Amino acid sequence: MEPSPSSPPSSGKAPVAAIPEPGAPPAPRPARPSAATPRRLGPIPLDRRTAGLAAACVVLMASVVFGGTGYRYEAFVDIPAAPSDRVPSDDRGLQQLTARLRTREREFAARLKAAAPRGVYIVIDQTQNRLYLKRDDETLLQAICSAGSGMVLKESGGKKREWVFDSPRGRFEIRSMSRNPVWRKPDWAFVEESEPIPRNPAERLDYGSLGEYAMYFGDGFMIHGTLYERLLGRAVSHGCIRVGREDLRKVWANARLGTQIYIY
Amino acid sequence: MRGHRARLGTCLATGAIGMALVMPVACSKAPAKQRAMDRRTEVAQLQRTTDLLQRQVELAAGKDFYLVLDPATSSLTLMLRGARLQRYVVLGIQVGHPRIAWFGERDPRPVQGVMWSRGELDPPRQLDRLVIQAGEPGKDTGDPATPPIPPTPEEMYPVPSRYHVRFDDGLSVEIRPREADATTGRWARLRASWSARWRDAVAAIRAGDRDAVRLRIVLNPKDAESLYRSLPPAVKLIVLTGGEAGAAPASPDTVAR
Repeated sequence: MEPSPSSPPSSGKAPVAAIPEPGAPPAPRPARPSAATPRRLGPIPLDRRTAGLAAACVVLMASVVFGGTGYRYEAFVDIPAAPSDRVPSDDRGLQQLTARLRTREREFAARLKAAAPRGVYIVIDQTQNRLYLKRDDETLLQAICSAGSGMVLKESGGKKREWVFDSPRGRFEIRSMSRNPVWRKPDWAFVEESEPIPRNPAERLDYGSLGEYAMYFGDGFMIHGTLYERLLGRAVSHGCIRVGREDLRKVWANARLGTQIYIY
Repeated sequence: MRGHRARLGTCLATGAIGMALVMPVACSKAPAKQRAMDRRTEVAQLQRTTDLLQRQVELAAGKDFYLVLDPATSSLTLMLRGARLQRYVVLGIQVGHPRIAWFGERDPRPVQGVMWSRGELDPPRQLDRLVIQAGEPGKDTGDPATPPIPPTPEEMYPVPSRYHVRFDDGLSVEIRPREADATTGRWARLRASWSARWRDAVAAIRAGDRDAVRLRIVLNPKDAESLYRSLPPAVKLIVLTGGEAGAAPASPDTVAR
């Protein structure tokens, strides 16, 4: 049987939609293009395989770019000193410059040596609560201490003052030394305890709380003993450096007036 | 014919005598040139040493804390006014330069002999201050509250496995503990490594505040932790000349911990 000219072609193409007659059932929707006939982007067919390849290319390119982005590390090599243009070329000029440089070198080395502390000095690591007694490069004593807590105390009444209990950073020196020290309590000690600030100075004196020795290094700060040795190693003080009894004895035995204290 | 030969002989003899006279002079000129060059190099080295000493004198005269990285003795020393406060053994030093998509950007400035300033920890060390409002004096507030026992430094300041000390002018020192992730599992190590790579890549792409040069310093894990916990703010740095990474480390006996 020959197909009539009006019948749909058998090549799989969608039939041309006819205008429905009134009362006739709705015509079926045209079929979607099958997988065998993919959409195209110019000459490139847009099928799953192409999409996969494209994604792989993007990932590859991104990893190549990412792999080559960042910091490239190489071994540290000392760069040799290059002769400067200002260096004279004649022998005599060179000799004079060398002599001048040697003199400066000696001078700077001497100044650098003079800047370093002589004899025994104290180093305090306030964050890790460690005290070191040192002489040159030698560590004579390593002790656990307690530095400032960093706490903030606010006064409720009165002048509404505020205190921050930090240990100071920098270089200091021992200004006075005291055996069996008596603590003259400052205002904050009363504010902290919610006690009225006494008018009589004698009421400020506190015996025994600073331990056997105290080494005062300015602005009310001291290296002293403590009643609370179990808290050593923790930042609990009001800015002073608290040391255990045995270690304090060793520090006292080695320290002198003017001994340098370095707190970092 | 005989006269011609005699003339030739005379010429040869004169040439030989001339050569004999000129050669030693010419030969002596080459070592002289070499000597002059050696002298110039020696002067350059001396100049550099003097400059370095001058910078250290300047640092020792200032009030700021400073780090001295000495590749010759493999040590990193925290100092103040010429006093050695803490010394760390350096196990390795590397220099890093940023690169984007394999294109490197090398900073031409020298790292050594320069005073780098205002070094700050990244990530910063956080101190949570306890704020206490005192009670009214004389008023009975009942039992005074027992102040909490503060944590230990180890509890207060957890140390990241890698951290930086960032200085002005684009230098960053990356402190990396040796075998930083040895205690963790393989996947955790892989994740940490990729995370570090990712951070490096992002840091290299950032144009504004990118590290122009990085110095990667490998320390013992305890030293790396100690440095993080106790490095003061606004620290300076000087990298000395001489020696290479991996030189004989400072004797552990002289190192305070």
